[in-house]
Amino acid sequence: MLENFFAGSAALFGDPFTIAIFVFGVIGGMLFGAIPGVSMLTLAAILLPFTSDLEPAQGVMLFAVIYCTGTYGGAITAILFNIPGAPENAPTAFDGYPMTKQGRAGKAVGAAVLCSAIGGISSALVMMAATEPLAKWAIRNIGPPEIFALVFFGLAVASSVGGRTIWKGWLSVLLGLMVATIGQDPVGGIERYNFGFADLAAGIAFVPAILGFFAVSEIFVQAEKKVTGKYDAPPVGMSFPTILELWRYKIAVLRSILVGFFCGILPGIGATLAAFMGYGEAVRWSKDKKSFGKGNLEGVISSETANNAATGAAMIPLLALGLPGGALTAMMVAVFQMHDLEPGPLVFYNSPDLIWIVFAAMFYANLSILIIGVMETKTIMYLLKVPFQFLAPMILLLASIGSYIGRGLVLDVVVMFVAGILGFLLRRSGYSIPGIVLGIILGKIGEQNFAQGMQMVHYDLVTYFSRPICSLLILAGVLTLGFSIYQAVQGIKQKSPAS
Amino acid sequence: MGKLDRSHFIEAGVWSLFFIIFFIASFEFNQPIEIYKFGATGWPRTVLLLLLLVLFGNLIYAYYQGHAMQHGRVGIADDEAEKTSYDGGTFLRVVTALGVPFLYAISLKPVGFYAATPFFIAAIAFIFGERKLKNIILVTLSIYLIIMIIFMVILNAPLPQGNTSPFYDFSAFMLRMNTKWQQLELW
Repeated sequence: MLENFFAGSAALFGDPFTIAIFVFGVIGGMLFGAIPGVSMLTLAAILLPFTSDLEPAQGVMLFAVIYCTGTYGGAITAILFNIPGAPENAPTAFDGYPMTKQGRAGKAVGAAVLCSAIGGISSALVMMAATEPLAKWAIRNIGPPEIFALVFFGLAVASSVGGRTIWKGWLSVLLGLMVATIGQDPVGGIERYNFGFADLAAGIAFVPAILGFFAVSEIFVQAEKKVTGKYDAPPVGMSFPTILELWRYKIAVLRSILVGFFCGILPGIGATLAAFMGYGEAVRWSKDKKSFGKGNLEGVISSETANNAATGAAMIPLLALGLPGGALTAMMVAVFQMHDLEPGPLVFYNSPDLIWIVFAAMFYANLSILIIGVMETKTIMYLLKVPFQFLAPMILLLASIGSYIGRGLVLDVVVMFVAGILGFLLRRSGYSIPGIVLGIILGKIGEQNFAQGMQMVHYDLVTYFSRPICSLLILAGVLTLGFSIYQAVQGIKQKSPAS
Repeated sequence: MGKLDRSHFIEAGVWSLFFIIFFIASFEFNQPIEIYKFGATGWPRTVLLLLLLVLFGNLIYAYYQGHAMQHGRVGIADDEAEKTSYDGGTFLRVVTALGVPFLYAISLKPVGFYAATPFFIAAIAFIFGERKLKNIILVTLSIYLIIMIIFMVILNAPLPQGNTSPFYDFSAFMLRMNTKWQQLELW
């Protein structure tokens, strides 16, 4: 493995043009991830046509580097403005943004820099060592029933985090699942809930929904505070966390690496569920559960470690099986195809140079997060000093462009603002915005894999649950759900504050 | 009625309406799928049924506990529990702050991004508290320029052009200017 890694590193740093592409990917991914409203996907979509002029290894490497640094970059906007740069950064905002409001933005961003790098580097190392054996294991053991079971577990966790009551947590998740049914059914392609709008046949894209529920609703909350005279500009705190401070969270980091890696290797799941589950597990094992959502550093650490740990793992189904784990890895399949290559097991034998340049580049990209991340972050944090009345139109415009560019539909901008208004109202009523968003993201994946799983086992539930990983995940989900219901019943019995 | 108040009934009414609309609409695509026993309606109707059950649980909780937060809940930001009540004038200003971005989104199809955006920036700056005309004009021009340079000139991103005159003509003019600028090949 080491020999291959050094060969990959030599190929990467032996050619000035390849170095230039690597540096462009690192800085571009971080910047696009960190600009409110646009994301690494925007950059990747813009660059896709140009990769046909590059060598195959350079093209795939560029996207892999953008994936690593963009996943980190999205954490900055999540922490500073409550605007996740990508869905996988959404849980980072739960505690990162309250930390900004408390003047502890520096600590949150510093933790995100370090933990993204740790998560990414660990993931890259495991990826290098284990891609081939893990791919073989995944082929044998992971199928639609397991993916559905994981989605079920993820939704059970999401319902227990956020929302003033378990009922509101579940109502939020179910609302998200219903929104995800708009568009076409994933089995027969039958149009559902288009209500006479032709554009709705394409479904509700999750980028406008996320921007609306997080970014726009946050702008509306701040606007309300401005109008009612309750607005306080967040203090800019530049103090980074100390190594000793971060050492306290070593278990959370380790746990999130494992969670992130496991979620990352599952096709179609990727870093988003990894981040949500990393956060959920941090809450589950914490002794101070109540501090989550109010500026607990462990929340930022868990989410950012898990989503970056998933980036390396997401390359396993892509490279070994040819199955993309998300939007960006799907674009990487397009890069392969533009060069008449097919990702899959044969790539390891036909193009080992390509594989090891990509592995080495991902390792160094995660390493560079540590160095460039700190410098870039200090500059970006000064954005907090811009008066809100000037920052708000800029964020709203970037969010509008980010929503529109994905599919070129004005409907997506309308959806974003409707989601913003809904988010504003639902937040006031104690509903869980992350629950809605996760429902939207996982709804279609869940339905598709449930249908495929049922077809696989000929609708026989005994066969379905005889799959060990599937039954284990379903059991974990049911236990989470059972505990929530127990809490809910206790909640009804509890003596109300008024009485 | 226990601790139920008007807001609980409104909340339950909105969710029930949501359930009814989506359930009735599901009959429009109630077709069998040859390879899948549960068809296109199986999943959404199951979710709707669960929603109805959870709504019932929500009402029971509200009956006993009112608006109180459930014991042991985690991940709730402080400001999510905040409730603000305001007078008629303030209410109107909040509605305007929420409504202007929505109007902007709707106007993008007929008016286009290039013509609607400067008015949107100025309106938001004003609604969100800026009162000096000089500042509003300066900020509007600066943001518009930055956005145009990044998305029109550098990235060549396709943005809504509008479909009504004279807005469409203005968008066409902006794009012609950009083409001429690109032909100069300064970079």
